[in-house]
Amino acid sequence: MTGNKRMELVCPAGTPATLRAAVQAGADAVYCGFRDETNARNFPGLNFSAEELAAGIRFAHHHGKKVLVAINTFARAGNTDAWRRAADTAVRCRADAVIAADIAVLDHMAQNHPKTRLHLSVQAAAATPESIQFYAQAFGVRRVVLPRVLSVQEIGALNRAINVETEAFVFGGLCVMIEGRCYLSSYGAGKSPNLNGVCSPPEMVSYVEDKNGTAAKLADFTIDRYEPDEPAGYPTLCKGRFNAGGKTGYLFEDPVSLNAGSMLVSLKAAGVTALKIEGRQRGKGYVTEVVRAFRKAVDVAESGGDAVEIDSILASMSEGGRQTTGAYRKAWR
Amino acid sequence: MTKDDASLPGFIRRFLPSFSGQPLGPLLTISLRSLARRRPQAFERLGEHRKARFLIDPTDLPFAFSVVPDGPASIVRATGKTVSEPNDVIIRGPILMLLGILDGTLDGDALFFHRSISVSGRTEAVVALRNAIEDAELRPSDMLGIGGQLAHIADTGILGGLAFARRIAVGASVEQGHTHDR
Repeated sequence: MTGNKRMELVCPAGTPATLRAAVQAGADAVYCGFRDETNARNFPGLNFSAEELAAGIRFAHHHGKKVLVAINTFARAGNTDAWRRAADTAVRCRADAVIAADIAVLDHMAQNHPKTRLHLSVQAAAATPESIQFYAQAFGVRRVVLPRVLSVQEIGALNRAINVETEAFVFGGLCVMIEGRCYLSSYGAGKSPNLNGVCSPPEMVSYVEDKNGTAAKLADFTIDRYEPDEPAGYPTLCKGRFNAGGKTGYLFEDPVSLNAGSMLVSLKAAGVTALKIEGRQRGKGYVTEVVRAFRKAVDVAESGGDAVEIDSILASMSEGGRQTTGAYRKAWR
Repeated sequence: MTKDDASLPGFIRRFLPSFSGQPLGPLLTISLRSLARRRPQAFERLGEHRKARFLIDPTDLPFAFSVVPDGPASIVRATGKTVSEPNDVIIRGPILMLLGILDGTLDGDALFFHRSISVSGRTEAVVALRNAIEDAELRPSDMLGIGGQLAHIADTGILGGLAFARRIAVGASVEQGHTHDR
């Protein structure tokens, strides 16, 4: 789907206070989830109760903004009540859309709440016209959140082949595996974002300091070791630094964050409807600063310019202190 | 900003009291329990971690705080720098940064990733505490238990004072750096 509408800025909120901060910083829409394993950011102290969600949606609507509710983990066989309840509650709270990946959740929404917009979560890893059209035809999905594996040219070609809106990540943590199908965290810690809503569950994470610096551990695995002044990161197996073949290095991916702030004009030209900022687990300071910077950048891009200075503004907000444009600017194809 | 940028300048540290006889523990305990009675929802996000013991160690002060944020049963004790009892979490950093996290001025994650503060112990308890503080949007007046116009004056004065202190601390750090360079 291609069009000339202004791109929508979709921003994260892990708490009601962050939702308000995102709205006030310039978000067009805010996405959030319930305080349980139905969403892929199930961290301690994070997320919303039904009452908090209803109040947050009232606040957003009062300011002319939307709230999208992520119910994007995969329901367990024989125990789907939490997912049904989350979907029903989101609709009752007047959510503008539900973001889902599991076909059971999508089907429940399509059957019981056909008037509520359905967005396909990145957890569904739908990156082909065929898979996206399936979700659109089977469940009435109106928007797909694109996996972070496509170049801008590929997104453009995809948009010309589908009649569904696309939403592209532009900032934040960069998942390098096929989303929704990565079980590295399960291997190391027994829990995964797909089923439990958490990659590297914090109860398994520890930072151990000694005279040589800090070791970041997941369960019994040392994922990385940092010199005293070296930027640190949250220990996920895909971004760990390991010894192999006589060398020490990042076997899967460097711990860099996505920042596509310099590519907004290209993404618009490729037909992207919405730009997504990652980071529901991050705080108000992060959300305020990143949303404010992207609000300005999107407005500049929409008026014909390109806001490249956003890279330096947001460098301090990146995990690991380094940034990349990821697959959007693939040079090896 | 490096980890030492926001440390209190040496001339301020010289005026700080030593650890012994600190009345801060009982005062902060009363303040935290009062906050829990007025805003119980601020503690709900802690869940099971409200019984965890957090050692908050301002690296530029001569004492630390042991905090159990258990709502109306909260306990705060001022302690020495030597860790003598088991803690679930230890958080270390310059006092102005720690206060900046508390009042929402600074992003705790960014400070941690850039090693401006250090955290060790039970990560899930840290994450819960951070999220609870984030959502509580605490103002100085919340801790002082005052409202109305007086709260506005206190918040403006204290937060303005902290911002000023951060500028002074960063300025002093730059000055010290230049001295070393020479």
